[in-house]
Amino acid sequence: MMQKMYDWVDERLNITPMWRDLADHEVPEHVNPAHHFSAFVYCFGGLTFFITVIQILSGMFLSMYYVPDIINAYESVKYLQTEVAFGVIVRGMHHWGASLVIVMMFLHTLRVFFTGAYKKPRELNWVVGMLIFFVMLGLGFTGYLLPWDNTAYFATKVGLQIADTVPWVGPYLKTLLTGGEIVGAQTLTRFFAIHVFFLPGALLGLLGAHFVMIRAQGISGPL
Amino acid sequence: MAKHDKDATFVGDSRVSAKRIPNISPSYSDFPGKSEAFWPNFLLKEWMVAAVGLIAFLVLTVSHESPLTAKANPNDTSFVPLPDWYFLFLYQLLKYPWAAGDYVILGILGIPGVAFGAMVLVPWLDAGKERRPLKRPVTTGLMMLSLFSIFFLTWAAHDEHVKKHGASHGGAGANAPAAAADPNFKAGDIWTAQASCQGCHGKNLEGTAGPNLQKVGEKYKPEEIKEIITKGKGSMPPGMFKGSDEDLNKLVEYLASLK
Amino acid sequence: MSGKKEISRRTFLNYALMGTGGFLAAGMITPMIRFAIDPLLKHSAGGDKVAVGNADEFGPEPKRIDFKVHTKDGWYESETTMAAWVRKTEEGEILALSPVCKHLGCTVDWNTNPDGTKDQYFCPCHLGRYAINGENILGTPPLKPLDEYEVEVKEGKVYLGKVIPNPRQGVAG
Repeated sequence: MMQKMYDWVDERLNITPMWRDLADHEVPEHVNPAHHFSAFVYCFGGLTFFITVIQILSGMFLSMYYVPDIINAYESVKYLQTEVAFGVIVRGMHHWGASLVIVMMFLHTLRVFFTGAYKKPRELNWVVGMLIFFVMLGLGFTGYLLPWDNTAYFATKVGLQIADTVPWVGPYLKTLLTGGEIVGAQTLTRFFAIHVFFLPGALLGLLGAHFVMIRAQGISGPL
Repeated sequence: MAKHDKDATFVGDSRVSAKRIPNISPSYSDFPGKSEAFWPNFLLKEWMVAAVGLIAFLVLTVSHESPLTAKANPNDTSFVPLPDWYFLFLYQLLKYPWAAGDYVILGILGIPGVAFGAMVLVPWLDAGKERRPLKRPVTTGLMMLSLFSIFFLTWAAHDEHVKKHGASHGGAGANAPAAAADPNFKAGDIWTAQASCQGCHGKNLEGTAGPNLQKVGEKYKPEEIKEIITKGKGSMPPGMFKGSDEDLNKLVEYLASLK
Repeated sequence: MSGKKEISRRTFLNYALMGTGGFLAAGMITPMIRFAIDPLLKHSAGGDKVAVGNADEFGPEPKRIDFKVHTKDGWYESETTMAAWVRKTEEGEILALSPVCKHLGCTVDWNTNPDGTKDQYFCPCHLGRYAINGENILGTPPLKPLDEYEVEVKEGKVYLGKVIPNPRQGVAG
């Protein structure tokens, strides 16, 4: 049955070569912790991706209850955390996952840096990786405001003050992010849109490029 | 993908080759040495580790509820802002006089701009063939220096925050609820004579930037109050009191009597 | 391929991989699914009954009553205005009908049919009609009778609760 369905799709789309390429690529000894325990440093990239998947899923589910509006945002977060079953867990996954993803990405970046894996021919992949890093920081910054509690509000105010001090473009940047004179209703909807649509879109594109390049170039050789 | 082969046949009028490739895993002997197949051998190990990690993560989410402080109130002056932990290093950097004020260009663009710019461009800055970290000391050294700075700045920001505003975990001074100010409270004459004290603690001791002192006598002994006034505490600077020692003693006595 | 043994090892690994993958997916998604379907599993609070007037105010002729209900919709609490057509039936019981047409949800009114049918509720949207106790008139668009409110009469006062289906059958008009 499964076989027949597979064959039906394969006849039309020729998916076997793609699937075999993904499944059969060899994992060399020097990145396999089963052979050298120190090779666990090669796992951080995969773990970053794993937590990113958790972030995307939990974020999708959180948005079933969340409203980006200064009157209701806090109430809705409080409601989903205290009154909806498993709300503590789902918000917890998103909240703690946000920190964890930064940690994992940091470690992954350090691994790539110290093993010199960014060198020719992998320069482009390194640049894409750095862009992913910045997108993640942007996601962290914009997501922090969304619960609209005091911590969020004042942290964002500080962040926007920092943006304001950037020479020349600072004030424009601040107004663009704030969406108005003060950190308020328009800031929240802006941050929500950036957090939920713009940055995740950019992130998915960059991750796709990152993975395609890894498959095309293979993992960097042993030191 | 599809090679332009004259003999190639396609499925219908599509560009999909009619030639089927058998869906067979290669023999293990195709993997030299200790290499192994990604699917299923390596992925199984990876996922088993991920499963353990996921359990630990779920335990964390259940045991540590994500923090939610009171609803945002722009007028809450007692709330000490603090960015999320991974921005602390930047936040701390901008506190230093040589990276703020007139030198803010250095603090904003100079240091972080150059550091992050160098990170993005590192494949071209460190273009040699050598990959071992110890064989490229400049690159490795600069990275270690940046790492040390980031760790130090993050620690310094946290440390300063804790010292100034008490050990409130979760990043914010939210768990130090200020005693509710009594609107009917009238301060004594000795207090109303001290303009600089009122600047932070309010005309009637209700507290604005500084804490409410309407019941400070419950918390501190007279000697302690005197010490705080003369030497300062946390973000309160020393020597704000203006007047004679006699007046100071009167003020201390007055404050200690507030219960 | 060096024989049967290798294939079975791979098959075993494949099953183990599916199991682990399934566990991972389930561990991630179970809390989220439970979170999402919570409204299904939450029993409705029922709601308190609201007093709308004295029992002796109502006669055989339906009378429209507007009343306010405190609704809690997730984090949003509000006062919703509801309406009911209340009358005393021939058996002497209070009947309170919801004015929401069972056809497409318009609001019905009493005796406003321009055709002049008497003693019927009339829905202006698709000319639906109901008899005095909410029974749908067969041959008009509605297929069910008007919903009624749970009614409680306590110490001469009428209290209305939540909306429940009307058990009466449709009648020929």
